[in-house]
Amino acid sequence: MADIRKVAVIGAGVMGAGIAAHVANAGIPVVLLDIVPEGAANRNAIAQGAIDKLLKADPAAFMTKRAARLVTPGNTEDDLDKLAECDWIVEAVIERLDVKQALYRRIEAVRKPGSVVSSNTSTIPLATLTAGLPDSFARDFCITHFFNPPRYMRLLEVVAGEQTRPEAIERVGRFADVALGKSVVPCKDRPGFIANRLGVYWLQVAVVEAIDAGLDVEDADAVVGKPMGIPKTGVFGLLDLVGLDLMPHVNASMAKSLPPGDPFHGAHRELPLINRMLAEGYTGRKGKGGFYRLNRAGGGKVKEAIDLATGQYRPQRKPALDLPRGIKAVLQAPGKAGRYAWQVMARTLSYAAMLVPEVADDIASVDEAMRLGYNWKFGPFELIDQLGTDWFAARLEESGLPVPELLRRAAGRRFYRVAEGRRQALGPDGTYRDIARPDGVLLLADIKLAAAPVLKNGSAALWDIGDGVACFEFTSKLNTLDPDTMALLSKALKVVGERFKALVIYNEASNFSAGANLGMALFAANLAAWSEIEQIVATGQQTYKAMKYAPFPVVGAPSGLALGGGCEILLHCDAVQAHAETYMGLVECGVGLIPAWGGCKEMLHRWARLGRLPRGPMPPVAKVFETVSTATVAKSAAEAQELLFLRPTDGITMNRYRLLADAKARALDLARDYAPPTPPDYTLPGETAAVGLRLAAESFHRRGIATRHDLVVAGALAEVLAGGDTDITRTLSEDDLLELERARFMRLVRHPDTLARIESVLETGKPLRN
Amino acid sequence: MATYKAPLRDMRFVLYELHDGAALSRLPGLEDMTSDLLDPVLEEAAKVCEDVLFPLNRPGDEEGCHFENGVVRVPRGFAEAYRLFREGGWTGIACDPEFGGQGLPKAVNSLVEEMICATNLSFGMYPGLSHGAYLALHAHGSDALKQRYLPPLVDGTWSGTMCLTEPHCGTDLGLCRTKAVPRPDGSYAITGTKIFISAGEHDLTENIIHLVLARLPDAPKGTSGISLFLVPKFLPGADGRPGSRNGVACGSIEHKMGIKASATCVMNFDEATGWLVGEPHKGMRAMFTMMNEERLAVGIQGLGLAEASYQGAVAYARDRVQGRSLGGVKAPDKAADPIIVHPDVRRMLLTMRASVEGCRAIGAWVAHAIDVQTHSPDPQARRDAEDFVALMTPIVKALFTDLAFEATNLGVQVMGGHGYIREHGMEQYIRDSRIAQIYEGTNGIQALDLVGRKLPAHAGRSLRQFFHPVGAFIAAHAEDDALGPFVRPLGKAFVRLQQATGQIARIGMARPEEAGAAATDYLRLFGLVAMAYQWARMVQVAQARLGSGGDDAFYRAKIATARFFMDKMLPQTGALFSIIMAGGAPLMDFPEDAF
Repeated sequence: MADIRKVAVIGAGVMGAGIAAHVANAGIPVVLLDIVPEGAANRNAIAQGAIDKLLKADPAAFMTKRAARLVTPGNTEDDLDKLAECDWIVEAVIERLDVKQALYRRIEAVRKPGSVVSSNTSTIPLATLTAGLPDSFARDFCITHFFNPPRYMRLLEVVAGEQTRPEAIERVGRFADVALGKSVVPCKDRPGFIANRLGVYWLQVAVVEAIDAGLDVEDADAVVGKPMGIPKTGVFGLLDLVGLDLMPHVNASMAKSLPPGDPFHGAHRELPLINRMLAEGYTGRKGKGGFYRLNRAGGGKVKEAIDLATGQYRPQRKPALDLPRGIKAVLQAPGKAGRYAWQVMARTLSYAAMLVPEVADDIASVDEAMRLGYNWKFGPFELIDQLGTDWFAARLEESGLPVPELLRRAAGRRFYRVAEGRRQALGPDGTYRDIARPDGVLLLADIKLAAAPVLKNGSAALWDIGDGVACFEFTSKLNTLDPDTMALLSKALKVVGERFKALVIYNEASNFSAGANLGMALFAANLAAWSEIEQIVATGQQTYKAMKYAPFPVVGAPSGLALGGGCEILLHCDAVQAHAETYMGLVECGVGLIPAWGGCKEMLHRWARLGRLPRGPMPPVAKVFETVSTATVAKSAAEAQELLFLRPTDGITMNRYRLLADAKARALDLARDYAPPTPPDYTLPGETAAVGLRLAAESFHRRGIATRHDLVVAGALAEVLAGGDTDITRTLSEDDLLELERARFMRLVRHPDTLARIESVLETGKPLRN
Repeated sequence: MATYKAPLRDMRFVLYELHDGAALSRLPGLEDMTSDLLDPVLEEAAKVCEDVLFPLNRPGDEEGCHFENGVVRVPRGFAEAYRLFREGGWTGIACDPEFGGQGLPKAVNSLVEEMICATNLSFGMYPGLSHGAYLALHAHGSDALKQRYLPPLVDGTWSGTMCLTEPHCGTDLGLCRTKAVPRPDGSYAITGTKIFISAGEHDLTENIIHLVLARLPDAPKGTSGISLFLVPKFLPGADGRPGSRNGVACGSIEHKMGIKASATCVMNFDEATGWLVGEPHKGMRAMFTMMNEERLAVGIQGLGLAEASYQGAVAYARDRVQGRSLGGVKAPDKAADPIIVHPDVRRMLLTMRASVEGCRAIGAWVAHAIDVQTHSPDPQARRDAEDFVALMTPIVKALFTDLAFEATNLGVQVMGGHGYIREHGMEQYIRDSRIAQIYEGTNGIQALDLVGRKLPAHAGRSLRQFFHPVGAFIAAHAEDDALGPFVRPLGKAFVRLQQATGQIARIGMARPEEAGAAATDYLRLFGLVAMAYQWARMVQVAQARLGSGGDDAFYRAKIATARFFMDKMLPQTGALFSIIMAGGAPLMDFPEDAF
């Protein structure tokens, strides 16, 4: 990746701009070019406008404000010479062959030798794009197909042409993998590549079948959605999200480019309803609404859904499906919904089986593309394995649907199997092959196939990940932390001390940890089980502290949410190797509590030691108060570094798959000559500072920013951070601060307004501003 | 010999001294409800119950109800008693003044209910069911229905019923089959058969208003497809007077173990005209607003019967001489000592007494909360009270009625063979109390309601209204010199209850069968701790008032009963705790075909 030092993106539309932003997220300077608008005073207006829009995007396109400064706007008339400095040039302009080819000729004239040019096209074949262009261009050209939004969608489909140099593909692929964090899936030069080829077919079948079966959109989305491991937007909700106007274009392009025998043609037909909706401006969420809309007529807000038969909107209703559990059971369920699910999934899954080896060499690529490009929980072949290949083939025959060759080859065998602890996939030739992980990719899921945990209980497990490193995994629901987690961590510290060199705290759930188990805490509080709650707090403090001073290094490796107690455990690690998409925060104040598993003491120490602040005991206190009292959550690992949830020395891994290997390497590195940290002393300003912070909070209250209970919570937090009744002539220990955390926590947890906040978060997922 | 004097002193104690009855009159709408007004109500109620209802209890049981040609005849004297009862205004004491009621607080009404149930439970069923119908209609009926039907229900000229159960559906009302077909005029044609309908047919009132659960033609399956309908026996004419006969008739009456003077009817609806009460398909919700109060009322039935049995047993134990005291002769002037000197007789009497007074204290606590829930202007106070009532409803219903069955059984035991023969009226209390463990949701269902619904709701929020005040009370008083000895045993039992609750919440969440296996024992454990709290509170009040005016004997007896409860009844919590912790395996591992 060192050899891609600068990137250019041409075309500042949604995709181009998003790609540029994400390149900047990787710390690489990027030039973003678009045309000069007619008569514009600012000749970079389009690219500049795109950057401004990116800065306001939600979810954010940039990981930090700093990253935005790496994007330089320009235009294709004045700035084309800038391409000469770029190692990779991404074309993301309008899907017109003439425009693209004209641009390619101009690029070819200025780009530096050996640089790679790629197109983000989703509809034009690579062979067509390079037709008539010089060989020198074709050798350095490929397709890199990003998904929207480029920061968050982890799939990158890469198509190499016949002439493309393997080194060019390797260079861009490696950069995309390591620096951009994408999962690079090689595709053949076929229409729609992998994800859209199957995804568009699936959507088309699902829409047509729902209309033909007279199903309500709510029911369709409820069955071809969550029960299949497909996002709960289902089919119609997804179309609303991506925009209905795309559908006719994409379908027409598919219809034009796919050969006559392709099943797509059987599913493709004009839908008068959709044409009418588009004519009336119902393009989906970006327009007036789509299959669902929010009717604000008469000042109200009524959720409505369209009746597929009449085309009229009516109030949305809860799907009234009595579906059995499990995908196979749903596909066999009697009634309209079950029949619909079978029709859609049977045709989609068998289509997937027809696409190998046409669009990809192996089934794993197809599954990866659907998981990461469409957010399916399981790829099509994983789904077929859940059904059983023989069962599925038999049911296809019964239903009069063709049985694909690949499925016949499987002959009752699974598409995936585990042999001698290695994951294998069935190839198109009917033999199993190992699924190779690239160098630098280590997955706990793979390790689990071949080994038993070293330790395990209901909330956590300890694994041997090789080379003397152990991995502590949270396994509870949402990875919430409870007394069982602490008990196992405590045990793990002993075992690691005896048998390992280092410990990594890591898991492969979507979120590292949402924090302490609030449901359990609230129940205990409702029971007035105060001593039990205090015990839980004290045990957490002692366990985290024991981890911090253990005679071996501990490396935290989070991805996704790391909140509350999940953030505090990371604050106690010797080092953190964080996935770029890590969202850390001490959010306890949001539920009317304060961090009490050492979060306050660790943050105070960090800001005192690492913060670039004016001298004296007060600035770190004020800084931590500001971050914690507002329950600030960092929106990326980079932002977490700015807030000192991560140290400047902590590492960031862009690719989720590389996180464990990076953390393990870090741990082994620390294990050489490891000495536990020296316990810090604290000099804190005492009561006067607490009063000052409370006054600040009160002014927020008067301005309507802080609520009544915010003041109570902020008051308790201020007392802890100021060091209680200390003064600057005294020195406090970690234990003094832990005691303060615990005492103030116990005071807050008895407060009915705190209990109401916790209840609200548990019941509605929303914070209560009381 | 059965005998009954309303326990007015103890009633006033729980109403004013234990639970701050004066606070009631600070609630909007209850401003007039001071002791000046309430005391005479209780005294009058006592008179009616002692003089009119109690004398009819035995003969009513002997005679029972009779069914001939679709007509039900209640026992002799009941019609006259009902007339007196109605004319005294007793049918409407707890009803909304807007419809002719007197708007008395629930805290007082539940004491009156206790007296009625103690003296003649069968009789009490008739106005009791009317009150249930009143509550459902008042909460969910349209204004037109309320204007037409509530005034005669309140003044007692008409009566009401609740028609839920069908031959194939009791506990599981989702199986209900009775149909309701809309008619063009906005009414519905109701067709189906309902069984076990108390007061379904009788000759006490000029009209009977049935509230019937039925399904509309487009209804979804299960309990979410049930609607509530009002079906009068006689369709009111334009003048509001009973007019033509509706298509509802009594098919037969049941022959039962107890409450024989209460007519339990099979009701046949044949395209009977009815009107929707509340929204379509929301009948269960409408029914449940009424059901909570009905369940509390059933608990009070148990309490009344236990009190009556206790009074009969004490009178007999003082009077009956037999054998000599183990500690030496106590009544040398008599041929033998009265049996009240014997430890085991005392054990029985004190068990009855501690149960009765403990339940009365809890009942008054919950009734007070219902008044707060109904009248308080503070939404938080209303919600807290509602949480508390929801939590305590299954406990009151099941604990009170289980203890009542045990107490009435002890009442017979104290009297030996004289209790067993019908002549003295003691065995009737057992038979009458038996149904209270069954109807309005069996006590097993109450226990499931507690562990399955009330515990998990809002991560245990309802529990807060019990555990927080009790926990705070223990923390404040465990070390008191005089009160401490009563608080410490409470503290010990409280910890058991906390642990058992935590255990059920943890394990029961993942495995509902475990919660089900613990449910009944857990409800009893909860009930005993609630009683212990009330007993400790009663001691606190009694200790404070001792020596402050001529009622020392009453307060000393309170403290002595509390001591019995703490030392001789509360330790059952230890056994219950062990039973709960043993888990569900001993029940569920037993092979089904080995039964």
